[in-house]
Amino acid sequence: MRKTIRIILLILFSASSAKAQNQEKLFEQSFDLLNTMLINENSYSFKKAVFSVENAYLDDKLDTLSINKQIKFLTGLSNSLIKDRFLAYLEKDKPTVNKWASVYQIMCDTIPINYNDKLYKYSPFGYDFNDVFGHKTRENLFVSKLLETHKGNCHSLPYLYKILCEELGTTANLALAPNHVYIKHNSIKDGWYNTELTSGIFPIDAWVMASGYVHLDAVSNGVYMKALNNRESVALVLIDLADNYNAKFPNNDGTFILKCCETAIKEYPQFASALILKAETRFKQIKKIKDQALFNQQFAALEKQYAHIHEIGYRSMPENMYLEWLISLKTERSKYENKNLNTFSKK
Amino acid sequence: MRYKINLIGILIITLIPTITFGQVNLPMLPISTQIPNYSNLNFPNNSKNIIPNLINQFIGINPAQQNQSIMREVEQNEKQRIETLNQIKNDINEFSTSVNYNLPSFSNLQGTEYYKLVYNKMLLLNTEDYSVKDVNFEIENAYLENAEDKLEFDQIIKNSGDYIIAKMKELKYDTESNVAKNYMLFQFFSETLQLKSNGLKHTAFKYDFVDYMGQKDWSKMFVSKLLKTKTGQCHSMPLLYLILAEQIQAEAFLSFSPNHSFIKFKDRNGKWYNIELTNGMFTASSFMINSGYIKAEALQNHIYLQNLSKQELLSAFYVDLANGYIHKFGFDDFVEKIADKALELYPKNVNAQMIKANYCAIRFEYVAKQLGINPSDNKQLQNIKNNPNAIALLQQANEEVKKVEQLGFTAMPQEAYESWLGSLKEAKRKQENETINTQFKGTIVKTLQN
Repeated sequence: MRKTIRIILLILFSASSAKAQNQEKLFEQSFDLLNTMLINENSYSFKKAVFSVENAYLDDKLDTLSINKQIKFLTGLSNSLIKDRFLAYLEKDKPTVNKWASVYQIMCDTIPINYNDKLYKYSPFGYDFNDVFGHKTRENLFVSKLLETHKGNCHSLPYLYKILCEELGTTANLALAPNHVYIKHNSIKDGWYNTELTSGIFPIDAWVMASGYVHLDAVSNGVYMKALNNRESVALVLIDLADNYNAKFPNNDGTFILKCCETAIKEYPQFASALILKAETRFKQIKKIKDQALFNQQFAALEKQYAHIHEIGYRSMPENMYLEWLISLKTERSKYENKNLNTFSKK
Repeated sequence: MRYKINLIGILIITLIPTITFGQVNLPMLPISTQIPNYSNLNFPNNSKNIIPNLINQFIGINPAQQNQSIMREVEQNEKQRIETLNQIKNDINEFSTSVNYNLPSFSNLQGTEYYKLVYNKMLLLNTEDYSVKDVNFEIENAYLENAEDKLEFDQIIKNSGDYIIAKMKELKYDTESNVAKNYMLFQFFSETLQLKSNGLKHTAFKYDFVDYMGQKDWSKMFVSKLLKTKTGQCHSMPLLYLILAEQIQAEAFLSFSPNHSFIKFKDRNGKWYNIELTNGMFTASSFMINSGYIKAEALQNHIYLQNLSKQELLSAFYVDLANGYIHKFGFDDFVEKIADKALELYPKNVNAQMIKANYCAIRFEYVAKQLGINPSDNKQLQNIKNNPNAIALLQQANEEVKKVEQLGFTAMPQEAYESWLGSLKEAKRKQENETINTQFKGTIVKTLQN
């Protein structure tokens, strides 16, 4: 009897470890895909990058078919907007600006759709105030969740925006602020301007800096408010992958995390989240060291890492402050809205 | 809500206000930011009129005669063709020689020689080690055509320096400490002081709201005016601060923000402080940023809120020299020479880049007018297509404007500047200032006790 229990336990154990191994394999595959995009830029696709990370977390259960269908629908809608609507913009980059405008409209506007002589209403993507940091479940940050529920946050909304821009054959630059991601575009008429998807407003830079957690050095060093290129955007996704891995395997030894961090930092040396995750992971590892001398030596190195993070201008922003700041864009709209972009006829 | 980009007018015209350290708006000419598209235009086919039609009335006449008359006709036509060609060539020559591709020089005007002299002197300066006091005096004096007395000026600066040191000793400040020196300088600008030993009184400098951009009277920007009237603005006050800092061997730096300049210095721990002299306050960088006219790109390019190195400061002095000259005479190639020198010393000097861009814009406009083209009319602009020189000038003008934009510059309207400067007086700012002020008193007294 005892023997059988032991055997059953053994089988159960090996089955679960086999599952864990498979799961880990998915993360490794996703890492390889992202890494390939960095090595060979021709293989770059933000859409592929993002969904491979989400798929790894979802144990290979991401419904790619439905996602592709939805993205295709949204792209089609954008294209019909570009064709049918008038954009009062006269510079020679109008075709590109038109694409951005249509994606923006899809993200933030209610659009009437005429289909088989019936008028449908397309409702845009909204902001979900629940679990904006993905503490409850990482899925709250996912683009797949956004597509399904039409509600997202500062992580999924700009990601989807970028994906749609790329589907239309143009590009969008992600940009960082404390706890936040937004969009930057460079047009002939307006130069660099910001697009804030969580509230559908074009804020001026002073809004981002007014959060109170943006040190001057962080801006001049490009920690924040820098228009990230595609490679740097992949670095962002790499840290998503690492964060998801931590959520899935809380007791991991840190090897995979550090691999993601190193790759991301190589691409984007001032990437604060990657530098912090690396330092935190190292701290977890160092804590386990029993030998005092070795511990001291490694701990000193770690302190240097933290000092560097401070030096480049990073300051941590409490999470409750974040929501307050995000809302300030709506409550103090007149102060922070970019008045050069008379882009709204919104009440 | 609709995504609608509003655009007034057909052609975008860019106006760049040129700014000295800060505050000078020059009357600016509009300039197209677009290279016109020529692709739809047909070249007028002049050759039609020149090549004679050989197949004509000769049919029916005998071949020999026909040949002869053809030959005659060919000859005649050939002669005519050469004549016409020559005439066109002459026309072209006449046309192009009459166009002057350079702005007329002012060098024959009385007063320009002072500027040339100062410029040549400045070229000889050691970019890492020169006297701020002397350079600034020379630049102001060039405008005033040597009317100022250098000895007298030196004496005033020396007396002020002595006064500051005496006051420091009286207050038992550490006369070796950079922070204490800067704090005393700050007090010298913002407070009324009296020396106990001889009762000598010094009153604080005040902000002069009248014509603070020197639009009517350029000498309003000058340190000499500040010393005479005890009132100044954001150009003269930081400069006098730097001159006095040099006099008492304190380390302080000039720094720019949109339309503005102010002072930065650091303490022994490497912490930076901003001094706003126009109303005698310590300010936070966030206050500068909240003006709303600083783009992230401007900070990434280090054009604002950075402490200028000695060489970068010299570049700023070249900008001052150029602006004085422009104000007095206008734009000519001497202005370009100064701007180029400023950019050589400090390639991201946005004020120098603006002068350069404005110079190129004005030069193109000047050339366009000679060609009978109104440059702000896009249709007329197409007519420069036959003139490669004009095209090159237009392209250069557009490139220089582009560079200003790429540095992250956005124009700050005068009203916005005034209301921003006024907001310094809000209660919250006063409190911030008080906090730093008390902190300083604390640390300086502490250094005394140690």
